[in-house]
Amino acid sequence: MMTDQTIDPPVAKARSPLSEAWEMFRHNHSAMVGLGLLVLIVLAAIFGPLLYPTDPFDMVWAPFSPPGEEGFLLGTDYLGRDLLSQILYGARVTLIIGLSAAIVTVVIGVTVGALAGFYGGIVEEALMRFTEFFQVLPTLLFSMVIVALFGASLPMITFAIGIVSWTAVARITRSEFQRVRELEYVMASRASGASNSKLMFEVILPNALPPIIVQSALMVGSAILFEAGLSFLGLTDPNVVSWGQIIGSNRQYILESSFTVTIPGLAIFITVLAISLVGDGLNDALNPKLRKR
Amino acid sequence: MSDLLDVQNLSVRFGVRRKGGFFAKPTYLTAVDDISFTVRKGETLAIVGESGSGKTTAALAIARLVSGLTSGKILLEGRDLLPLDREDLKDMRQKVQVIFQDPYSSLNPRKRAEDIVREPLDSLTDKSISEKREIVDGLFKAVGLHPEQKRLFPHQFSGGQRQRIGIARALSTQPEVIICDEPVSALDVAVQAQILNLLRRLQTEFGLTYVFISHDLGVVQHMCDSVAVMYMGKIVEHADRLSLFNNPLHPYTAALLSAVPSVDPMLREQSRRILIPGDPPDPLDLPKGCRFASRCPVAEARCRDVAPRLKLAGSNHRAACHLVEDETSPLAGIRS
Repeated sequence: MMTDQTIDPPVAKARSPLSEAWEMFRHNHSAMVGLGLLVLIVLAAIFGPLLYPTDPFDMVWAPFSPPGEEGFLLGTDYLGRDLLSQILYGARVTLIIGLSAAIVTVVIGVTVGALAGFYGGIVEEALMRFTEFFQVLPTLLFSMVIVALFGASLPMITFAIGIVSWTAVARITRSEFQRVRELEYVMASRASGASNSKLMFEVILPNALPPIIVQSALMVGSAILFEAGLSFLGLTDPNVVSWGQIIGSNRQYILESSFTVTIPGLAIFITVLAISLVGDGLNDALNPKLRKR
Repeated sequence: MSDLLDVQNLSVRFGVRRKGGFFAKPTYLTAVDDISFTVRKGETLAIVGESGSGKTTAALAIARLVSGLTSGKILLEGRDLLPLDREDLKDMRQKVQVIFQDPYSSLNPRKRAEDIVREPLDSLTDKSISEKREIVDGLFKAVGLHPEQKRLFPHQFSGGQRQRIGIARALSTQPEVIICDEPVSALDVAVQAQILNLLRRLQTEFGLTYVFISHDLGVVQHMCDSVAVMYMGKIVEHADRLSLFNNPLHPYTAALLSAVPSVDPMLREQSRRILIPGDPPDPLDLPKGCRFASRCPVAEARCRDVAPRLKLAGSNHRAACHLVEDETSPLAGIRS
């Protein structure tokens, strides 16, 4: 068939926006450091307890044994339990709570934000007033009430953290949906016969995703901090170890043997820092408007 | 030939809430006000006008893509498109496709070129995968792209190439009518010519009918068989191309045409620019008379009181102006 002009020779390689984002991320040193730390922490959480099978609830030695003495790398706590083993087992619980609370947050937030941003009008008014209702609740108090009322099991703690922190995700999702909704390719998809649900989840959502991904990554970090706060106050499942709980149970002895509080505190600090670095890197890699800075 | 598309008394209104927030009474902005036109099969109707004249809204209403309150009738092959429900809408969307203005925002950046072109086939037809692949390959060739490029993502194409992808998408379901919403206004002049030639070639090849939206009269002159000029939601003049360009009757059309730059120094000598001072009226508070009266160089008292109707002023030439008489523009006296 005839063509009006000759066109550039075919480009050899298709480069998706995602592969370009990874390219950006790869060259961001602090993000790669964060990612490296995070991988180490996750590996420690998965394999640590297998390689170091001391039960974190066993009293193995005298209380307050400083790190390094008697073969206990991180020392023992106020009941003479091995801190290293507590940190390793606690990493599992802490990461699982952080991750699943972030998932709860994203599921609620994206659903509410997507519906509000897509439909607009009365739907949006109603959903955003609903969101604001949750936004003005004092978060720590509200989650304490939930845990106190319904019991301090892991799922309930996860739910309590998720239910008080989804509002930020909802607002970001809504504003992204409002932006993307107006773009011509959404109208083009509608002209091509796409249904509302297809427009929402297959056309708009993938294009609204970058800031949501960044926010959810940071959500994992803040959920870990939140869990630590709840455990510190004693609102925790006594049958499992988490980092916040280690700090909470040793807090009376902070002046005599500060390492029992410092070590889990450092673990939280490093994990949240790693997650923030990764989140920042994702933000730079996924948000093309900031790339040129 | 018969009329393929027959638009009767089409109006589109949008609810707008002015100051006062949630409890304020909504007012309505009438973007398209009671317009009628027909398009014959295989021909091109251009709708021209300035920003805010309602030309894009009118065209997108035909493709059932506006969210406002739409009234009137849009008959395609005698069937009204406005009351269609979901299943019938699918059928209609196969017949009416759109080429969008900005090729940089009309292609989903997360999809490959072939997926973009195939999307109407996926949603609107139940063709097999191999059939669809064959159609997509054929379309790539038809619009002047290499089928090898079909795995690429939109950002790997130039503006002109992107618009070719947009055209291939519009062609995929073998539509009867294609709405071209300023398809070249976002492109370089050199690329504009290529795309316009492509559109013309495809029109003869596939027997397409175009509704061509533009604010660029040079482009319109190149493309269309007849022209409708819109101002503030109304059609003010509607005529065959030659008759409109040679003898514009409505003062607004005359002013628009006098603004088209010319490279011919002889022509430049002859024509004098007709300036239209001021801004268009507030679309929420339209005057009761002619909407152009406030800017019209020859407006009279009756223009401000009585809204003119579109009336026949020659063979196939209609204008909405009190002062037009027998194919003579009211500006004839002051123009030369």
